[in-house]
Amino acid sequence: MQSKHTPILTVRQLSKSYPEPEKNSLFRRGMNHAVQNVSFDLYSGETLGIVGESGCGKSTVARLVMGLETPDAGSVVFHDTRIDQLPERSLRPLRPRFQMVFQDSGSSLNSRKRVVDILREPMLYHRIVTKDKAEARIDELLDMVGLSPSTKQRYPHEFSGGQRQRICIAKALSLDPELIILDEPVSALDVSVQAQILNLLRDLQEKLGVAYLFIGHGLGAVHYISHRIAVMYRGRIVEMGDSEEVFRHPAHPYTRALLDAAPLADYDARERERIVLRGEIGHTDWTEGCAFRSRCPYASEECTCIGSAMTSVPGAPEHLSACMAGTQERGV
Amino acid sequence: MKPLLEVKNLEVSFFQGKRQTRCTDRVSFDVKPGEILCLVGESGCGKSITALSILGLLSRAGRVTKGEILYQGRDLLKLREKELDAIRGREIAMIFQDIMYSLNPVFTIGNQMTEVIRRHLHYKQKDAEALSVELLQKTGITQPETVMRKFPHQLSGGMRQRVMIAMALACKPKLLIADEPTTALDVTIQLQIMQLLKQLRDETGMAILLITHDIGVVAEMADRVVVMYAGQCVEKAEARQLLESPAHPYTQALLKAVPGIHDDRSQRLASIPGTVPEEYQSMTGCRFAPRCPHGNVCCRNAQRVEIEPGHEVECCAILMRRQTNDAE
Repeated sequence: MQSKHTPILTVRQLSKSYPEPEKNSLFRRGMNHAVQNVSFDLYSGETLGIVGESGCGKSTVARLVMGLETPDAGSVVFHDTRIDQLPERSLRPLRPRFQMVFQDSGSSLNSRKRVVDILREPMLYHRIVTKDKAEARIDELLDMVGLSPSTKQRYPHEFSGGQRQRICIAKALSLDPELIILDEPVSALDVSVQAQILNLLRDLQEKLGVAYLFIGHGLGAVHYISHRIAVMYRGRIVEMGDSEEVFRHPAHPYTRALLDAAPLADYDARERERIVLRGEIGHTDWTEGCAFRSRCPYASEECTCIGSAMTSVPGAPEHLSACMAGTQERGV
Repeated sequence: MKPLLEVKNLEVSFFQGKRQTRCTDRVSFDVKPGEILCLVGESGCGKSITALSILGLLSRAGRVTKGEILYQGRDLLKLREKELDAIRGREIAMIFQDIMYSLNPVFTIGNQMTEVIRRHLHYKQKDAEALSVELLQKTGITQPETVMRKFPHQLSGGMRQRVMIAMALACKPKLLIADEPTTALDVTIQLQIMQLLKQLRDETGMAILLITHDIGVVAEMADRVVVMYAGQCVEKAEARQLLESPAHPYTQALLKAVPGIHDDRSQRLASIPGTVPEEYQSMTGCRFAPRCPHGNVCCRNAQRVEIEPGHEVECCAILMRRQTNDAE
């Protein structure tokens, strides 16, 4: 494992916008700023969780890091190589080192191929193993993700959702990656199966030292798996820090509202005091100021010009928050 | 209090040619006026099938093969389609999870709302419009007139669910069946909808049968809870009883498997080993036994035990333990 101080993935000022038809106009096109100035580091053997509601840009971040989209601005550096501008051809030799697992395990496995072929093809393509050793490696991989090697002759539809997600994880692991990007890997699963997959991911990380970029909207699951958490709102990271620190002492009002909205499995929790957000994530072209100000219960005049840069929370240098409007005096 | 709705020993089967698949087995529960009863369980446990069968909305292959569904003493299963039509929407309304498919994409919201009101309450167009505006306002929509002119795709998921709720409220139903109403929504919007449903319950006194897979939603909303597993009710209790002292091993495991936002991260999450057996329909006795930490041979015939007033559980391990205690 590498030292904690050299990140394997460095993302700086990443931005991506998509054209979007403007409301009430057939011809004018507005821009949807899906990701704006997102920066973070990811260290070897670590999990960074990205949480946020739908449309906040968390999946776009994943696609940008994977090189499935080209950013408008900013950089993605994997070890020492800047990968965001690389042509597909030069990116290909690097691909085995960072892999992705998607939410929909059903559509990310080729339904006409047997599991054994699904797992073999990428390994042979990238010359990870020789033909004669592939079979043994596949058995090992299936065993590692908790599936019986005897199931390898089956087709994906013969497995349950949880088992299919295990196959996807095995597929990602087959190339010995240093980084796996997991885009909502447990959102489609039942709670009991979700717990199995989360535990599996944690065990694999311990064993193999692989780093995860875990994207999810289930706060409990993201908290459980992540060492550090980044909270996104409308394309920006609004708060980032140690997983426990962020959830225990949220510095940004949005994080607090999000945590308040998460239903707890506790009867008395229904009476607790909390921020209930009014309205919904709107569509505005703000690039200045705090993106959350239209719904924020603490918003003031100054939020129109400040609030997009991240600063350290007093007393916790690793804990960054984009809310500057006096976090301490509110006792948030 | 006399129950509003009583489901007794319900068995719903699906037929494929001659092959019969029993999807639910001896499902029994009741809903009292003004209460929120949560039906909770994982996918495939039969909770939605149970809800659909109440209003006779099962697809053609599905049929209630045993049991009865009593609404204010009348068996809904014995009613003719026309009589059932008078109950659907007026007495018992239903809202669904997939809000996109519950609204017609080619008509405006106003159009669809007034149609419901004219059809059920025989209002004139103008009065129906006025009532629609009032109902939309009640569900927290700030500009109801504008929303009335919009098409479903122009609204967000949360707004669409509000429209669905407004429509369901049109005839002041005594019972609202809500099938995973917040599952497709973000947590902050989910909280808004949950609070809206509770507020409407308090105002109108209607009962809500809420179907969900999320223990958090149960904790937030439920007065009483029915836990389902593999087509059977395994535990019935008051919400507090269930959350604080779950009795059935499945309920216990389910509660432990939910990662909480304030949990200690170093603690390993308790998962339930294995999966729901595929051929559970033909299993005799306790269907959770193969995954149960206490499972043993005696689980062949599950029996219902009442461990506290209002707290019923179907588990032989508990029954055995009680019997030995009593004998001593």
